[in-house]
Amino acid sequence: MDSVYKTVLLDHFHNPRNKGDLDTMDRVRRGSNPRCGDEIEVGIKANNEVLESVRFRGRGCSICLASASIMSECTKGLTLLQARQLVQQMMKWFGDTKGETPSNTTLAALGAVRQHPARKKCVLLAWMALDETLTSK
Amino acid sequence: MTADASILIPSDSVDFDALREDFPIFNSGSETLHYLDSAASSQKPSCVIDAVAQCYRSQYAPVHRGLYPLAESASVAYEKARQTLANFINAASADEIIFTRSATEAINLVASGWAGPALKAGDEIWVSQMEHHSNYLPWQRVCRNRGASLRVIPLDSSGQLDLDKAAGLFANSTRLIAITHVSNVLGIVNPVEKIIHLAAQKSIPVLIDAAQSVGHMPVDVQALKCDFLVASAHKMCGPGGIGLLYGKKQRLAQTEPLLLGGGMVDLVQSETSLWSEIPARFEAGSPNLAGALGFAVAADYIQGIGRQAIEKRERELAAIAFEVLSEIGGVGIYGPENSEYRSGILSFHIDGIHPHDIAQIAGEHGVAIRAGHHCCQPLMQHLNTSSTARASFSFYNNEEDIAALVMAIQQTKKVLGG
Repeated sequence: MDSVYKTVLLDHFHNPRNKGDLDTMDRVRRGSNPRCGDEIEVGIKANNEVLESVRFRGRGCSICLASASIMSECTKGLTLLQARQLVQQMMKWFGDTKGETPSNTTLAALGAVRQHPARKKCVLLAWMALDETLTSK
Repeated sequence: MTADASILIPSDSVDFDALREDFPIFNSGSETLHYLDSAASSQKPSCVIDAVAQCYRSQYAPVHRGLYPLAESASVAYEKARQTLANFINAASADEIIFTRSATEAINLVASGWAGPALKAGDEIWVSQMEHHSNYLPWQRVCRNRGASLRVIPLDSSGQLDLDKAAGLFANSTRLIAITHVSNVLGIVNPVEKIIHLAAQKSIPVLIDAAQSVGHMPVDVQALKCDFLVASAHKMCGPGGIGLLYGKKQRLAQTEPLLLGGGMVDLVQSETSLWSEIPARFEAGSPNLAGALGFAVAADYIQGIGRQAIEKRERELAAIAFEVLSEIGGVGIYGPENSEYRSGILSFHIDGIHPHDIAQIAGEHGVAIRAGHHCCQPLMQHLNTSSTARASFSFYNNEEDIAALVMAIQQTKKVLGG
């Protein structure tokens, strides 16, 4: 198996979770990377400060789409604060070699991309859009 | 390897497989490197690597600044390199060759130093939709700053220049046409002779971006009759960090220097200063001696092989790749089908798979291709995509590289295909 395209990533690329319609979401934000043309919209639906649903749609490379799918799965059920903390951890994990590896094993699969600096943005695009949904008014 | 590797390349008087031995990088790793990214930057032959090393080992001294023997010989060697490059593109005089950091800097020099000061509202500068950002942005800025208009020659459905739709290209308001000789994405060879000929009838100067042509096909500035031409060493087997601007003597005389500083001025007074003669006027700062020497050796190396032979070889490789890739399901190739209009550059896509994924997986199989917008976003807009995968061939590539590319594409489809 090609190193970056680990089983978990491929599974999420081929069978994306929570992808598509964002009409029922409370808040939707877009992340784009004009350098590679990737564009992801992320929507959240929260109930009582808890993420009931995180969905996405858009276009991008396999890593970008797999990361969005994994994100949508791993953030469901988190409080808004926990989700923001997880976003921060992901940014740090990818920006800094000393960043702590996420305990969630599905999330940890994204670590395969850390050795490919040029692809880090692909992983983080959906996370940055999620961050927008969590922080913007 | 697949059966595709058995396709025979018509023999030529040059033994290209033997030339591969000149490039240490192909013998340095345990795995075969299938380097198909020469349009981004070419690999370096030993003679160039040695020339750069030799310069630092035994020839190095400041250029045009010292009076001791080592500095004098360094200055002589630097000027000899200039003459070699002049011969390489058949410039009338070595004084028409300006060493720059890159082709990019050379274009910026013409935009800021030649076009800018004379440009006024109502004037037009023409580029084409296939230009690299380096032959687009400097003109965009200078036009905006001077109230002039940037006009763009459109492309037809095959990606070739659509001169019939470029109304006003040769109008009285056109101050310059800046156009690439060969597209770095589609490999299309533009009819620059025709454009220059038509422009000359209206006394419109033409700048040729030869970054993708000068190391791959014969280029003769006196035959072309272009006013300016830019080139880059690292794309033609030379070292990084050096390029050149060719300018007709009269055009360079009209050009203000882009960089001011040491080595380009004769007299400095509190209010005004007197620039040095051309070419020194345009080479502020300590010259890149090792770069210039390596550049000249690269030019001699390519000249030694023969650019007609190189062109033939690279076109043949690209034509074979075109044919083989066309047969793979889901693969589409951008640009004209007729190989007559193509050089050794091939852009393609695989249905449903992002080019970055193609390049990454190909890389893991030892195949180096480029993916992205290739610094050509206007062209990407024309192609209605955000990026392409690109294989670019050099004379040191062979059929095995094509077979490896095919395998990498098949592997990509296997891993990521639906």
